[in-house]
Formats: sequence, C-alpha cells, structure tokens
Amino acid sequence: MPEKPNLIAKHINYKIATKVILSDIDLSVHRGEVLGVVGPNGAGKTSLLKILSGQVFCQGSVFWKQKDLKEYSEMQRAQQIAVVNQINDSVFSLNLQQIVRMGLLPHSSLISRATPDDTLRIAQALEKVGLTEKAQQTFSSLSGGEQQRGLIARALVQRADLIVLDEPVNHLDVYYQHQVLQLLTSLARSLKVTVIMSLHDVNLAAHYCDNICLLNQGKLIAKGTPEAVFTTKQLSEVFRLPCAVTEGASNKSFHVNFYPPSQTGHHLTKGDC
Amino acid sequence: MNKKFWLLCFFAITSVIVGLFFGAADFSNRELLSCLVDSCSSEVNEMIFWEIRAPRVLVGFLVGAGLAVAGATLQNVTRNGLADPYLFGVVSGAGLGASIATLLFDSNFAENLGLLSLLPGISFSLALPFAAFLGALFSVILVQLLVTRTFGSKTEHMLLAGIAVSFMLSALSHFILFMAEPFAANKVIFWLMGSLARIETWYAWVILPVLIVSVSLLLLYGRHMDALLIGDENAKTLGVHVGRLRILSLATCAALTACIVAYCGGIGFVGLMIPHIIRNWLGVTSRTLIIGCVLLGGAFLVWVDVIARIALPDQEIPIGIITSAIGSIFFLLAMRQRNT
Repeated sequence: MPEKPNLIAKHINYKIATKVILSDIDLSVHRGEVLGVVGPNGAGKTSLLKILSGQVFCQGSVFWKQKDLKEYSEMQRAQQIAVVNQINDSVFSLNLQQIVRMGLLPHSSLISRATPDDTLRIAQALEKVGLTEKAQQTFSSLSGGEQQRGLIARALVQRADLIVLDEPVNHLDVYYQHQVLQLLTSLARSLKVTVIMSLHDVNLAAHYCDNICLLNQGKLIAKGTPEAVFTTKQLSEVFRLPCAVTEGASNKSFHVNFYPPSQTGHHLTKGDC
Repeated sequence: MNKKFWLLCFFAITSVIVGLFFGAADFSNRELLSCLVDSCSSEVNEMIFWEIRAPRVLVGFLVGAGLAVAGATLQNVTRNGLADPYLFGVVSGAGLGASIATLLFDSNFAENLGLLSLLPGISFSLALPFAAFLGALFSVILVQLLVTRTFGSKTEHMLLAGIAVSFMLSALSHFILFMAEPFAANKVIFWLMGSLARIETWYAWVILPVLIVSVSLLLLYGRHMDALLIGDENAKTLGVHVGRLRILSLATCAALTACIVAYCGGIGFVGLMIPHIIRNWLGVTSRTLIIGCVLLGGAFLVWVDVIARIALPDQEIPIGIITSAIGSIFFLLAMRQRNT
C-alpha cells in the first residue's frame, strides 16, 4: 500500500489586496521527497513556500501529517518545519555555533538548560554539513555556501521533518550550488526529511529534485518528475524564451538550454519551441 | 567566558566597596571599615555613612546596571547597535512623564487647575516613577510607529526618529516646567544632566525590584531574544512570538528607564557604551549580555559618580556631564567602527 503524502495542499488561493498571487493550487509531497518549485520571477514561488511552511495563511488548507497547519501552535510548527531563509542581519556577530544552537529553541522551555545531548546534536549537525572547524567563526565571516550549510545544520538540530528553502543557491558560485543541493538530497535520502525549495536554475532543479512544481502567474502549470514537467513547450511558455531539452542516457542527465528570443535551439529532442 | 565573568564580578564588587571610600565627609579608612563591619564611631558618621554614602553607591550601581540593561535590550530588539534609551527618546519620555507628575503634585498648580481633589491619597514618590513609565512607554511606541509606519526600519532612520522624538519630548517637558515655575532652571538641568546628589535610601527599594524583575524576565527570554537577532521572520520560524516578545522587551526597557529617570534625571550614553563593551569582551548572546551589563554598568556608574564627587573641590559635577562626555566619544568611535 503506497505511503500517504506527508504534506497536502488543497485549493490554495492567495491574494494581496486585489492582486491574485496564487490561484487554486493543489499538491502533495511525500516523506523523503525533494520537491523543486520552479517558475519565473513573480510566479508566486516565495508565497507558496511561506504558505506550505505555515508562515502565511490563506484560503484553502495545508495539511502536514494529516493535520491542518492552522491547528499547530507556532512552537509545534517550528518542531516540525524548518525554514531556511538567508540571514542578512549580522549586526552583533553571532558565531556559527550560536546560530545552529537556535535550532534547539522549539524543543526547549524557557527555563531548560542545554544538556550534553543538545551539545552532541549540534556537533553532529555541524559535522554532517562539514563545518565542525568553523563552529566558532562569526556567521558573517563565512562564505555564502558555508552560511547556507550552517542554516541547514540549524534545521537538522531543529529535528524538523520538513525543510523549506527559498532559493537556497542564490548568489552561490557553481561549486557551492552543487555542494548545498547535494547535501539536501543526501539528507532527504538518509534521514527521510522532506525538502521543498524554490530554484531559478531549471537544470539544477532537474538534476537534484524528485519532483517539480512549475508555477506561472500564480497558477500551477505542472507537477511531476523533471522529465515530465520540463518539456520544451511548457518551459518556453512559462519562461517566454525559446529552449531546447537535450536528453542524455540517464534520466538525470538531460539539459535545458534557453536561447535569446531571436535564435532557435539546436539538438532538439522533444520538439521545436 | 567563565574567567572573564568572575573577573567582572570581582570588579563590580570592588567598585562598590571602593566607591564607599569617596565623599564630601572626611572618613578615615579605619572608620569606614569599622562602619562596614561593625558600627561607626559616632552617630553623625553612622548617619552619613548609612543614609548618604552607602545609599548613593548602591543606587549608583543600580542606576548604571538598569541603564545598561535597558540599552542592551533596546539594541537587541531593534537590532541596532546605536540604540540607547537616551538617543531613542525613552529618557525624554520618562522626563516628560515625571515633569507632568511633578507639576500635578505641586499644590499651587493643581489647585489652579482644580485638580487637587483628584489626587488625594496618591503618594508622589510612587506616582513619579509611574508617570515616568507612561512617558517612556509613550516615546517607545511613538518611535516604533514612526519607524515601522513612516520611515522604514533602516538603522539611520531609527536613530533619526529616536533623536527627533527625544528633542520633541525634551522641549515639551522643559516648556511645561518653565510655564509652571518661573525658576525651573534647576529642574531642567536635573532632567538634562542627571544627578545622584539627592539620593535617598528608599529610591533603591523602588529601583531594585524593577531591576530584579526586568533582569529575570530578560534572562528567561534570553534565547528567544537571541533569535530576534537573526531577523523577525527567522525568529518566527523558530516558534518565537516576535510581537509579544518585542512588547515585553520594550516595556521592560521603559520601566527600567522610567524608575531611574524619575529619581536621578537623564543620564545619557550608559546604555550605549556598556552593551558594546560587553559584546566585544564577554559575548553577544542575550543572557551573557544582560548579566555583563548589570555588573559593568553598575560598576561604571559608581566610578563616574566618584569622579563627579572628587573632580572639583567643594563642588559636584552633574553625573550626566561625565557620562555624556565619555559617551559621545564612544558613540563616534562606534559609528566609525560600523563604517569600516
């Protein structure tokens, strides 16, 4: 019998003033699945992530483990769902360990003291993301990739079953992009954590995500495996650019090329744009 | 951290003890030690020591600790290292509240306005800090509203809004004092520069409980306040009730500032300097910061008060002059550090 999805979103409709941001979105995500949310600027990716992680409420329902997110208290939500946002504010130079330690917050009371288990958990999380030696460095002195991995370590300490990331590889060079995404997929495989992230790079999304949710102008255009969603027709319509999808031998090695509007693509295998 | 912490404890305790050795009355060291451990040699000395000198040192310590804690709280809540109860208008707000209370309890003035019948049974000494608290709360809310609704939350905007509110409320309280009393210059100087000269023992029994409750609350919510340092949105995703925590912190800051300003006037820059020093020396997490501020802030003001008493012969310098002189240089250095 197939496992029930961990996260189910039903009839998500979201407006800001009179502007429709998301319109009638339905989706489900399983335990250990990596879901990529892809779409052009203004498609509603960030809003969808905020709704799925319970940061914003709207019309429709989001069920996490068969319970409506609205029924969770803020603390209960934080015990289940970790949100990895960039930290731009580094006025008071917290170090990496102090940032990672914050993951304990949803599991501790106001008067509880840190236990040896907590310290071990922090050390293990830092080890998992390969930052043990940088634990005492100020967060702002770390590279973008290290910061992102540090925040993922915080999510691990948070013991969340769902990690939501908004453009986790933005501003990272190619090396760190792969490093961060590899880390996330390996966590999803080994710890059965569900990962939902928005990505701009279609190729990275195709390579690292199990399923893709393609958004455009607040509407869900398609949801499914990268091969099923990233067709030249759909991609060219959504991104308003001609493109070509080159398929390799394995299902994870196909590549999407976008071209300037005047040019046409070569090596087309799934039809011309 | 532990070694530094104990060093700071030692410094704070030593400062309080050494502070007792300075004052207008000429006490020999032996006499002072005798007063401390046993009893003074004469009734006059006993009175001077226990009713003037010791309360002054004790209240000085509490005032320094309170102002430093209020500054640290304000800085954490606004994520702005230049926040300070003085620069953010909290001191001026408390001054305005206290000025209005002083005026209402002035029997002539109250009688003229027909308010005397409304005030029976209310003790002035308790009404004063309460009125200062309302004034401080008003200024905190005003600055927050200006920042969030009008100017945006950039550091510079926050600072400018705070300074503007500070000037506005100061102007208002000075105007009220001048209108009510032709010779109000002394009171204005008191609100502007602060003083520990008129300290009475019972002031400590008002400030101490407020300080204990405030510090306990801030220590209790220390980890939540740390989460505020990484931004409201991030803190919310960790289960922190950001709105409630901010209100609690600002109210704490207003209460501390109010009970200090009500009795000691406006003492500037302690809340700016001390948290900076503690962050650089001891650590940035809220619990470390608060405890460090209590110890160093208290010790700092004891020493400033010693300088105020002994710098000029037969004359006392208002304490705010010294803190402002040190603080303004520190402020410029902090600004420079931020820009490098």
